[in-house]
Amino acid sequence: MQPNSIQRRLIATVVLSQSLLTAGLVLTGVLYTYWRLLSTLDTSMQARALSLAALVRYNDNATGDVYFDDTMVPPSIDPARPDVFAVWANRSGLLARSDIWPSNVELSPGGDQHWNAKWGHVPYHVLRMSNVPILDRVEGPLSKGPQTLSIIYASPTVRLRQQVRAAGIIIAVASLVLLVLMAKFALRGVGKGLAPLQTLAEQAALVSTQDWELRLPEEVEQIAEIEPVARSMKETLARLQRSFVQQRDFLANAAHELKTPVAVLKSTLQSLLQRPRSSDEYRTGLNQSLEDIERLERLLQWMLRLARAEQWAHGALRRNLELIDLNANCEEAIERVRSLARSRNTQIVLSRNGPLLLRGDPEDLRLVWTNLLENAVRYSPEGSRVEVDLAQDKRDLARLTFKDYGVGIPSEELPHIFERFYRGDPSRTRATGGFGLGLAIAKALVEAYGGTISAESTPGKGTCMTVQLPLDTG
Amino acid sequence: MRLLIVEDEARLAENIARSLRETAAYAVDVAADGEAGLNAIESNPYDAVILDLMLPKLDGMQVLERVRQSGRRTPILVLTARDDKESVIALLNAGADDYLTKPFDLGELLARAKALVRRGKGQASAALTIDDLQVNTADRTVSRNGRAITLTAMEYRVLEYLAHRPGAVVSKKELLEHLYDYNWEKFSNVIEVYISGLRRKLDDGSSRKLIHTLRNQGYVLRA
Repeated sequence: MQPNSIQRRLIATVVLSQSLLTAGLVLTGVLYTYWRLLSTLDTSMQARALSLAALVRYNDNATGDVYFDDTMVPPSIDPARPDVFAVWANRSGLLARSDIWPSNVELSPGGDQHWNAKWGHVPYHVLRMSNVPILDRVEGPLSKGPQTLSIIYASPTVRLRQQVRAAGIIIAVASLVLLVLMAKFALRGVGKGLAPLQTLAEQAALVSTQDWELRLPEEVEQIAEIEPVARSMKETLARLQRSFVQQRDFLANAAHELKTPVAVLKSTLQSLLQRPRSSDEYRTGLNQSLEDIERLERLLQWMLRLARAEQWAHGALRRNLELIDLNANCEEAIERVRSLARSRNTQIVLSRNGPLLLRGDPEDLRLVWTNLLENAVRYSPEGSRVEVDLAQDKRDLARLTFKDYGVGIPSEELPHIFERFYRGDPSRTRATGGFGLGLAIAKALVEAYGGTISAESTPGKGTCMTVQLPLDTG
Repeated sequence: MRLLIVEDEARLAENIARSLRETAAYAVDVAADGEAGLNAIESNPYDAVILDLMLPKLDGMQVLERVRQSGRRTPILVLTARDDKESVIALLNAGADDYLTKPFDLGELLARAKALVRRGKGQASAALTIDDLQVNTADRTVSRNGRAITLTAMEYRVLEYLAHRPGAVVSKKELLEHLYDYNWEKFSNVIEVYISGLRRKLDDGSSRKLIHTLRNQGYVLRA
């Protein structure tokens, strides 16, 4: 067992609380026994004190004087340890005292009371009674009137103490035995109770990139303590699987996208070499190969851009942040696509509504706008227009829309356009020179700045891209 | 022989087509998307098809499945960018006869295409033998009784087709369909010119005639 073990901690808690309970139990038992025995002793002492009172007799002279008949003194409660007593009458004074009287002990009559005392190393329980009537009855009046008695009766509590101690030991031993048994049961119970954790660990170890499912027996999964753990593990696994599949698809797509231009290049060169050719044919072939390599180069650049954008999106690399006005930033992007727009005789119209300040890398955002603008221009018919509108949506949110009057996007393609390498109809997009990465890059960058991007489109009428970005209001 | 290439990457299709025409003397058609490819396969008796997987409109897998569903036995070689086991198995199970992963070697593609063509005609060896006539499809050489014979490209095409099906009557229409791609004008009387050329080069001076004409039926290559 490792030092930081739930099992160990649980058992320690159980044993500790059980020990406290046991101690409490032993204490209660001892106190209760003591109290019971003491009250029994008290009763016996009262009875003996009263029987002492019964031994006080009136003299026959009818004066009311009394004497103590010491022939019938009751035996001591503990035969081995003699009780101690004294009897006073209110007029006659001390009537009697036990034969054995501890030295240096002075007692006087007084109010009703009982207490513990230690006389000559012997513990006593002492009972004092007053106004005890004389039980002896005489005929006729007493000239000095009747008397009342004060009695002190003390009995050694040695035996009582021994009994209490014995009871304490019995209770303590029994409790300890129970405690040990309890700890053993707890150990087994906790071990059994923690077994589902073992199952969870074993099943979690079986999860792999081939099989993402965490399979738990139903009786394990429904345990109140396991259920939230299992649930969050499953959620995490699902998230990981999604991102794993996304990465794998990206790799597969990237491989395909890279292999095709390589295949073109290779076949061009091989077919050139298949037989002797004229220098014109070689020239054409080499020029084609050069074009293919340039396309490959562009594709690699786009893929690296996307990888970088996604890294920024995960906050891994954030650099060169400065305060940017989106209006100026967007205008710079428009300048970049100006020549493409001019070649297609397309007008780009910008409408701005006050400053929109944002902290960011100006190149990131220019890239977003450039990608959106290039798409808008490419899919617009010649002589058409692209409208860019910048507005403040709420106090801290900028909204940029890029609207074109082009071919539009079929509704079944709309949900996929931000996916990497998604190209819709490849014959159409390949003709426009896209790799299906521009929108994925735009999305990754916008999300890196905490924004959102969405598209609306009516086939045949046009497309409107909306970007929302949180502004720097500080 | 007549082949179809279904490939949306125009330059790749053009390179393959040029290679097949130049080194194998095949007639080659090109379709740029799955739909066009399927239409072409359904309306022409191709001796083999080279099919790319990632295609616009209808992807290669769908084309493959539809061709096989309609019962066509045209040999199909698939070009794919994926070489993982699962996708290869899926391809072959869907009815592909062979596959090649991109980027591939043009020489290998040609050899595989030729192998598919001869398998489709029930032949196994690249060197076809009819009596004492030898037609080697690998290097396109023809000899009879050890004597090398030089043929024009079209004569060779006609002979290669007949040699793949020795003993079978091949109609003029069949020859036309298998020797010309759809960029070519088809003149039926041209076939007769090639046949007579072949007869002169192969059979003249030999006691056993190999090329026979059956009136209103076609031609047979047999001993």
